[in-house]
Amino acid sequence: MECVVQGIIETQHVVALEILLVGLCGAPKQRIRVHELFLKNGPNLASSEVRLLCDLAKTTPSWTIRHVGGAMRGAGADQLSVLVRPIAESKASSTALRFFYGIGYKLDHEVLKTGFAFQFQNRGANLTVSVTSTNRLPRLHATDDAVPITPGIHLVEITAPAAPENYTEVASAIASFCEYLSPLLHLSKPGISTGIVPTAAAAAASLMSSGGGIKIL
Amino acid sequence: MPVKWLMHFQPNQGTTLTSQVMAEACAVAESFPGVSRDGRWRSLMTFYRAVPRDQSLPAPSDLPRDLIGISLHDLPNEYLFVMRSQRLILRAQSSVQTVMDKLQSYKGRFFINFEGLQYKWGDFKLRIGKCLYNPNEALRGIVMEVEYLPLSSIDKSQRVMEEFYEIWREAVASKLLAGQFINTEVNFVDYGLGDSYTPQHTAVLYGMCVVQVIASSNKNQ
Repeated sequence: MECVVQGIIETQHVVALEILLVGLCGAPKQRIRVHELFLKNGPNLASSEVRLLCDLAKTTPSWTIRHVGGAMRGAGADQLSVLVRPIAESKASSTALRFFYGIGYKLDHEVLKTGFAFQFQNRGANLTVSVTSTNRLPRLHATDDAVPITPGIHLVEITAPAAPENYTEVASAIASFCEYLSPLLHLSKPGISTGIVPTAAAAAASLMSSGGGIKIL
Repeated sequence: MPVKWLMHFQPNQGTTLTSQVMAEACAVAESFPGVSRDGRWRSLMTFYRAVPRDQSLPAPSDLPRDLIGISLHDLPNEYLFVMRSQRLILRAQSSVQTVMDKLQSYKGRFFINFEGLQYKWGDFKLRIGKCLYNPNEALRGIVMEVEYLPLSSIDKSQRVMEEFYEIWREAVASKLLAGQFINTEVNFVDYGLGDSYTPQHTAVLYGMCVVQVIASSNKNQ
């Protein structure tokens, strides 16, 4: 299970956001370069989708198989400012793609996500804040030639693992963390767009001029 | 990772396999000088079948009918899939079973437990076990896994494993069992596997061995 919120930021303000996150985190960023393949099974099988993630950031690519479930519904879920959904994933050998092709799955689409991420601990929850550009691949698996789908916009996502017994606390931890980022962007449940924050430009200018002068939490 | 061989007991034509073979095989192992019992072991194999979208129809013929998953006794946090027809192995964390459950495109249809006793004999570890069809615990076969701890190269360990195999066959022959232990022969290169032994090699051995175990079990019933 995981809790997740998303927001967008103009690409020109990503550096300022990174300055803010470095100040909050106190640890170096992690580079993101993930080739994400979305697979669906053919018409003969009970319908399902699975994602394969190939982490290209390190010298040796590593694979993860990931299933993203539907968002939690109901009165309790509606009251939360974050989305809660079941997640199942497993690290796997490099034969993962051939395996899923072999059992009847087909490539629906693929993207390359590039950017960076920071890890935080807030109120006992392990938060990952990622800032990424999603790129389309002009030819099959051509990650070296990827082109941004929205060149002027980056996606910001905060995710945190959760369990049935603690997801409300994790949701609160994310919601409170979002306050630190509010001058630059608003984050909300995926699918509910809040657009670009009007104060972003001024906040970014302030961060760029103050540089590393942000107090670490 | 140390090299392993996997053998199964092939009953003589017309004879039925019984638990007595397991008891006699363990007695042979326990007669080796310096051997010590080293607990129990258990691996679980799952036979998967495709779930067709229209469940009133049979599964489409273009989907694999030989997909097996295996949880090995010495790797409790991992899970391996083998598709013999495509010479394909997937090694993953044990959480991959949760992913397969969520996908619901393949379901485990029947299961075989490999379980029994483990022995340490010098540089060898011996695991003798029953193959039990789950859930009715019907005995389908007897297997023995032999592990040679000092070496992880299949080529370099070939001679010592062959010597052990001869020692084992002679010792078992003296028990006058109605059958013999047969080694599982696999061309690992066909599966894209190299000389350095890995859990993927073990998964392929079990995948091949179980085919022979089931075939001889069906023949002798």
